[in-house]
Amino acid sequence: MVNPEEAGLQVLHRLKSTDPPIWLAPNPSLSQETRAASLHLFSSLKPFSPKSPFDHLLVDGFDAEQIWQQIDLQSQPLLSSLRRELRRFEKDPGEISNLFGDGEASEGKGKGRGGGGGDVKESQRGNIDDLGGVGMEVDGFDEIDEDGDSDEEEDGEEEGVEDRGVEGGESEEGEEERNDGGIEDKFLKIKELEEYLREDEAREYGLEDATKKNKKEKKVVTSDSDEEEEEEEEEEEGDDDELGEFDVDDEDDEGKDKLGIRYEDFFGAKKKKVTQRKPKSSDELGYSTDDDEEEENGADGNKGNHNLSTHEKELLDLKAKIEQMEKSNLEPKTWTMQGEVTAAKRPKNSALEVDLDFEHNARPAPVITEEVTASLEELIRSRIREGHFDDVEKPPSLPTKGPREIKQLDENKSKRGLAEIYEEEYAQRTSLASAPLSFSDELKKEASLLFKKVSLKLDALSHFHFAPKPIIEDMSIQANVPALAMEEIAPLAVSDAAMLAPEEVFAGKGDLKDETELTQAERKRRRAKKKRIHKTAATKRMAKKGRETAANRSEGKEE
Amino acid sequence: MEPLQSPASMDVEAAPAEPNLPAKPLFAPLKAHEMSDGRVQFRKVSVPPHRYSPLKKLWMDIYTPVYEHMRIDIRMNLKARKVELKTRRDTPDVSNLQKCADFVQAFMLGFDVPDAVALLRLDELYVESFEIKDVKTLRGEHLSRAIGRLSGKGGKTKFAIENATKTRIVIADSKIHILGSFANIKIARDSLCSLILGSPAGKVYSKLRAVSARLAERF
Repeated sequence: MVNPEEAGLQVLHRLKSTDPPIWLAPNPSLSQETRAASLHLFSSLKPFSPKSPFDHLLVDGFDAEQIWQQIDLQSQPLLSSLRRELRRFEKDPGEISNLFGDGEASEGKGKGRGGGGGDVKESQRGNIDDLGGVGMEVDGFDEIDEDGDSDEEEDGEEEGVEDRGVEGGESEEGEEERNDGGIEDKFLKIKELEEYLREDEAREYGLEDATKKNKKEKKVVTSDSDEEEEEEEEEEEGDDDELGEFDVDDEDDEGKDKLGIRYEDFFGAKKKKVTQRKPKSSDELGYSTDDDEEEENGADGNKGNHNLSTHEKELLDLKAKIEQMEKSNLEPKTWTMQGEVTAAKRPKNSALEVDLDFEHNARPAPVITEEVTASLEELIRSRIREGHFDDVEKPPSLPTKGPREIKQLDENKSKRGLAEIYEEEYAQRTSLASAPLSFSDELKKEASLLFKKVSLKLDALSHFHFAPKPIIEDMSIQANVPALAMEEIAPLAVSDAAMLAPEEVFAGKGDLKDETELTQAERKRRRAKKKRIHKTAATKRMAKKGRETAANRSEGKEE
Repeated sequence: MEPLQSPASMDVEAAPAEPNLPAKPLFAPLKAHEMSDGRVQFRKVSVPPHRYSPLKKLWMDIYTPVYEHMRIDIRMNLKARKVELKTRRDTPDVSNLQKCADFVQAFMLGFDVPDAVALLRLDELYVESFEIKDVKTLRGEHLSRAIGRLSGKGGKTKFAIENATKTRIVIADSKIHILGSFANIKIARDSLCSLILGSPAGKVYSKLRAVSARLAERF
């Protein structure tokens, strides 16, 4: 199979040698050549690609798009496998040395790139994060190109590819090593950092930006057709713009095809947008506008009109927003915005879906949980223990004046006659006699008397000196007072001036015996005597009563 | 005649020297006996049947102050069932007879002798009588209840009023007699009337307290 290889190589050479301006105009010969070249490349890569339904590229009579599809089919799985290998080598650079030792086949497998030179560059590009190494990218691009150019002419296609790949890899690695030597250590790995950042951004911006990223990734990829050429140039032009704008879009490319520009990237999104807009138009305003905005942004971007500046894009967004809002204003408002709405005016059960806000003036009833009950009981117990109750207490009235003597109404028949009462009153008025003591005064007098007696006794017990008994003025008739009262110098306790004869103290009869000292006969005698006295008294009383009743009856008769 | 005429015919102008005119007459106060031209005055007090036996029992207590102190003759006419009073020659004052008659009358109304004796000793005491129907027309049970309200349990309401107002009250069926000075009678009467009209005893007590306190303060 040398001839086809040689033919392919020759074609590639020729392609390479053509001037760039020739690519601008559609040239049938050039297209033929490119077809042949792509066919060759396809077949050369076929052993490496894991699953490819085509043995060789079907080029005759096929459209550019169809050819492209075929290439895509082959290259996609190839690309993913290559990426995996690359990552593996990134993590473990030691293996690369093994590869060198193993031979070109393995190298080729490990480092082989799919598609054309553009693909190689593409994959390299994809690996290096934009954030980290834009400069690196560019450098890589240049170096790879140089290497590729130098090698291609000398070696075979595969070798060239491999070498290029290797050198590219080396150069890439060298780049990496060179660049990383200053920054990286075993702690910080820029690759990992880049990967993480990519993933994070993918999460943040979502798949919608993937389309933008895809578009960006397509910059470098070239295939065989005229479109590819155009796209290449367009992409090259758009490179700078997109690098500036969509720095963060790099991550999503890993999810999609890095190699080529895809139909969906240009036209598919538009359809999506169109289809998505319709269901979303029924949603609420804000939500739909946001989506639409994003869609529109994506679509506008995806249209490939890089002619629009940022400002123009913003204007477009605004316009879309305004349109949306005006449209919604023309429509009748939703029932929640209509002010007073009765049940008839709104759809059934719609109030359940809306979060209605009521002002509840009453405090909501407390939920009685076990903790609440326990806390209450604890409070009650503590209060009982302390004796601290919230009883209503009467405020203490200030004693501005003495307590008024409440006159007690005597409800008994007065013992003194009316005449005596008036006599007393008259005497009072003419101040002959002192004011009569009221009931409370008498009580007070009695109380003070008792207290004096008690205090006298206590003083006698406690004091060392003798205090004579106080004189209580009492008008009473004493029978056994001596006729003459002589002055005594002897102290009261010793003197016998107030001495009384035994008869004066007690006048009793005969031999007095206590109840316990009596004999049986004597006790009987005493009882009999008592009975006799009682009997006579009773008979006297009965007689008296009889006489009275008889007298009354007689009197009654008389009257 | 003469003494009467002379002041009338006397001239004011001719004051200084008139030895012709007799000296100013001096009149000793008239004795009770002489007042009605030497005629004896009588009073007769009828005795109600329910006071007959008390009169018999307490006759001496009535007789003594009347005869001894007031110098009035007193006797009981059994046939006519009347107590008769008569002035004596040595009755000091003409009003004694009336006082004695009031005293006996008070006893007949139902007052005790020691209370009625106050009439003899003090001038300003009076006896006022009125009926329940004067205050409010009550019949049957209402009347009985009113009487009960007036007396109170064991007579305590009556005694309370008596003690508070320094009067004596006698409730005889539907007749009420009050003995005391004028102001005190008024207070007692007001209390009794309020009781008849239906106010509870407690309310009457509180009013009594207030009034009697005020009365006591005055002196």
